[in-house]
Amino acid sequence: MSERLRQHDNVVIQSLAQIGNCGLFLLALLRAVPRSLRYMRETVRQLWFLGAMSLTIIMVCGLFVGMVLMLQLYHVLSIFGGTSASGMVVALSVYRELGPVVTALLFAGRAGTSITAEIGLMRATDQIDAMEMMAVDPMAYVATPRFLAGLVAMPLLCCVFCAMAIFGGHLVGVTWLGIDNGTFWANMTSVVEVRTDIVNGVLFKSLAFGAVVSLIAVFQGFTTPPTSEGVAYATTRTVVASSIAILALDFVLTAFLM
Amino acid sequence: MSQQRSSYAVGTGLFIVLGFAALAYLATQTSSVANVHQGDSYVVDTHFTNVGQLKERAPVKIAGVRVGQVQSIDLTPGQDVADVKLSIDKRYDHIPLDSVATIYTSGLLGDQYVGIDYGSSKQLLAANGTLARTKSSEPLEEMLGKFFGAGGVADDIGGTYTVTANFSNVGTLSPGAPVKMAGVPIGSVQSVVADPLKLNAKVVMAIDKRFNQIPDDSAAAVFTSGLIGTQYVSIQPGGSPDPLKNGDEMILTQSAMQLEDLIGKFLVNGSSSDNKGAGNGGK
Repeated sequence: MSERLRQHDNVVIQSLAQIGNCGLFLLALLRAVPRSLRYMRETVRQLWFLGAMSLTIIMVCGLFVGMVLMLQLYHVLSIFGGTSASGMVVALSVYRELGPVVTALLFAGRAGTSITAEIGLMRATDQIDAMEMMAVDPMAYVATPRFLAGLVAMPLLCCVFCAMAIFGGHLVGVTWLGIDNGTFWANMTSVVEVRTDIVNGVLFKSLAFGAVVSLIAVFQGFTTPPTSEGVAYATTRTVVASSIAILALDFVLTAFLM
Repeated sequence: MSQQRSSYAVGTGLFIVLGFAALAYLATQTSSVANVHQGDSYVVDTHFTNVGQLKERAPVKIAGVRVGQVQSIDLTPGQDVADVKLSIDKRYDHIPLDSVATIYTSGLLGDQYVGIDYGSSKQLLAANGTLARTKSSEPLEEMLGKFFGAGGVADDIGGTYTVTANFSNVGTLSPGAPVKMAGVPIGSVQSVVADPLKLNAKVVMAIDKRFNQIPDDSAAAVFTSGLIGTQYVSIQPGGSPDPLKNGDEMILTQSAMQLEDLIGKFLVNGSSSDNKGAGNGGK
């Protein structure tokens, strides 16, 4: 019994230590930002790899999310004769929730895992130690560029996702199901507000999610046990922890912002 | 190597530009600062006393076919009249000058749009011209009032005469409710007040003068339209040769059914009713 209790205790203390380490890691990361400005090129390269290379999956998913949302709404709203409101509901739900959350989940799966795996392998093959030997600060050269790139890429990806979702909704609603084009846009523009929906919803939320996902990915990569098993485990943990953090943070942000 | 680096830089630049373009699209095209750009069209001026829920960019339709959209809705300076500018497609430029612009609602809860019904004038509406004849949007309250209130009886044709009836319970009957005979509205309830002496409800009904041959032994009953509908007074004609006259009282009445009573009767299966025998005292 006491054995199990101690194990249980260990798990709690370990996860608390994990969170504390993550916070300390964030501080070290932010302290390394001025030093990482020397490696601007590396940041741009990471922005290309994490952001631009994720465009395809973001665009395709955005399109389908918008299309399926419109299809579902149309069938429900046609019961009440309110199909003309479906464009507006698509816009609001995508801007406020679906856009930032789905983009962040996709980003965690597409970019977060690759960050963790890459850094974890660097660690397993002693590249990080080699950098330190060569007086290259791994925090400034490896960690911060990836963190900053994730921070910049997420809002941009989210904007593209939302635009594609609106396009998909328009495609299904107006072109296929025959909602009036003017009504579609008029209803949408009459309820969407730049400050509450686009700045608070799309930009702010996706910025916060970008920070959380890249922090978790970089942290997991740096703290992974330097074995092939450890890298695999760290990659899995990146996706699990990011997804939980995104959804929990989404609730908190919505409660504060709305 | 430097070749590859510059391709990264260009691709990343493209990505950033695309992201900002998407943001600009969201902010300008789908939010309230959206522009009102459209193809070749001409503008027509109309004036409405009430535009209801009409919005900018709402459709303009002729015979149900979309021909343009509402460009702007403003208050005419110095008047309590809405100035609505319609932007109509250039292809539809054969609108007679005396056409009527009406604000319609699509369905009961749908959006409002402007419908143009053609007139017969030989003169055509010119660009920047004015459609002088308009019909404003009718507030839902007024429509509902007509619907549930007098029930389509023209109040001012031929006048009305009043009769009273006493009910032991009127339920939720309220002034304005229809009075029907054979299901057809013939008048409306004028007032519902409690009688201080008889301790029951006195209902004054205004009945159209055209229906002046109702026998004076007819019965009045409070019915409900449907399960949850509004209540109305139904008159069941009797057999007396003398008709009801102005100020008469209807003796035979049947009160509103209370749902609780009905359920009670159903459950207890015919227990003695406490107020049923108003006329015959006991079984």
